[in-house]
Amino acid sequence: MATLDLPILTIPPGGVERGWARWGHDYGSMLRWHLTSLRMWLMTIAVVQALSGVGFVLGISLFFSHIPVSAALYVSTGVPVINLLIVGLILGPQLVAQQRTAGSYDYLRTLPVSRSVTALAWYTVCLAVSVPAVVVSLLVAQLRYDLPLHISPMIVPAVLLTSLAATMIGYALGHAVSNPMLTNVVTQALVFAVFGFAPVLYPIAQMPGWLADVNWWFPFRHMAVVTRAALTGTGGSAVSTGYLVLGVWTVAAVGLVAWSLGRRP
Amino acid sequence: MTGLAVGVALTADPIQPRGQLRSGLTYWLASFQAMFRFDLGRVRQWAAMLVVIQVMMGAGMVLMYGFFYPQITPERALYIATGAPTLALIPLGLVMVPNAILIQRIEGTFDYVWSLPAPRSAQAASAFSLYTVLALPGTVLAQLVALWRYSVHLSFSPVLVPAVLLCAVMAVTVGYGLALAIRNPMVVNVLVNALIFVVLLFSPIVYPASQLPGWLYDVQRVLPFYAMATVIRAGLTSGLATQVALSFLILGAWTVAGCLATAWVVGRRH
Repeated sequence: MATLDLPILTIPPGGVERGWARWGHDYGSMLRWHLTSLRMWLMTIAVVQALSGVGFVLGISLFFSHIPVSAALYVSTGVPVINLLIVGLILGPQLVAQQRTAGSYDYLRTLPVSRSVTALAWYTVCLAVSVPAVVVSLLVAQLRYDLPLHISPMIVPAVLLTSLAATMIGYALGHAVSNPMLTNVVTQALVFAVFGFAPVLYPIAQMPGWLADVNWWFPFRHMAVVTRAALTGTGGSAVSTGYLVLGVWTVAAVGLVAWSLGRRP
Repeated sequence: MTGLAVGVALTADPIQPRGQLRSGLTYWLASFQAMFRFDLGRVRQWAAMLVVIQVMMGAGMVLMYGFFYPQITPERALYIATGAPTLALIPLGLVMVPNAILIQRIEGTFDYVWSLPAPRSAQAASAFSLYTVLALPGTVLAQLVALWRYSVHLSFSPVLVPAVLLCAVMAVTVGYGLALAIRNPMVVNVLVNALIFVVLLFSPIVYPASQLPGWLYDVQRVLPFYAMATVIRAGLTSGLATQVALSFLILGAWTVAGCLATAWVVGRRH
């Protein structure tokens, strides 16, 4: 009977727990963690997101004496894409950079929670903050321009994948780049690139050919293609290619996150 | 700095406070010079980056506006090209200067600088001059990029020199006053981001003001951004800009307001 005491001394209490119940419980905890740590911010971010989306939708008409329907349609279906990616791609890495500076980054890594759970909880938060802004922007666009929108069921995978790809790329950026200053510079440059140098808010034909080709390799053009297709009820080979490229980007980003979280600092 | 300290230290009685309060134009100029050297030394490691960011933002926006139009008519090209210097000056004054102030406030630089035996007006004037000088290369480069991209024909007039200088000084003083007058860094940050948004979309910098609804035009008449675009456009073209004198007045008023806000913060004890 004396041997029974030995394992209790050497094995840490509880051991490693696995299984769906544990996973679900952790997911709930991490979601609460994210929501609580951002509680002051989430409402502000959601409101700023909606306001900037509406601002863009309305402001673009000032660029033209009479805005063509196609231009209005492109902006109105592009703004939701920007709404979807800004929290995950831009605020996410900045938040991680902030956590690194504040020291809570190391603390979070010591929590007995699977990394996939933390990532998924963060994805949920990103989605929850951006979807209301998407709806508001689209509603205002519809009221202002009376657009020919035909929202197809494909909007669900389009929104989910666009947000997932952006969140995972942002997550990879935040975790793989260890210098907070560099993270901030890269994210600022990304905002600029997404607004101006990716064919999200305007047709790809309006940018020089070489820039369009460069954009093929980046995810933003494809995010716009899949979301716009779902909002206008169109399809085609570009849409399937878009899903494929976004999938590849997501997998690559998840791999990079796994690599940077898995190695010891 | 040496000129300020050495002469007195050798002869003064160690117990007595050093002389009476020094003032006068010569002293002010010497302080200004010393503070300018101090600021220059401090900003040296950032200067290149500031210029690069400014060029990227200014030139980047010039290119980016072109992508939004299905056809770039000669009129649109002219408006975008003549808006370029304004686009380069606004981020410097409204983003980079407030950010620099935020960092200085967090680092405690202000308390140190204010403790120096130099008039605070000379300290502020030195910062204004430094950022104005830093603003110019990026502005010129943004204009060159615009000329290359849109190949428009501009007719430069002497008004351009005072116009660009006043715009740069205005942007710097307003950014400086704004960042000093509002004590909460978060509020400054939010305000700056909102401003950039308003400026880039809702200000008639790269498009004619006639495209604005009436009430928005009235708002823009009070804000400095349309005035900046107007005076610079008056220096680059003939006949495109109207109400140039009024715009100069508006810019002057904003510069004075920025200086007053700075003077109010810098002048009081805390």
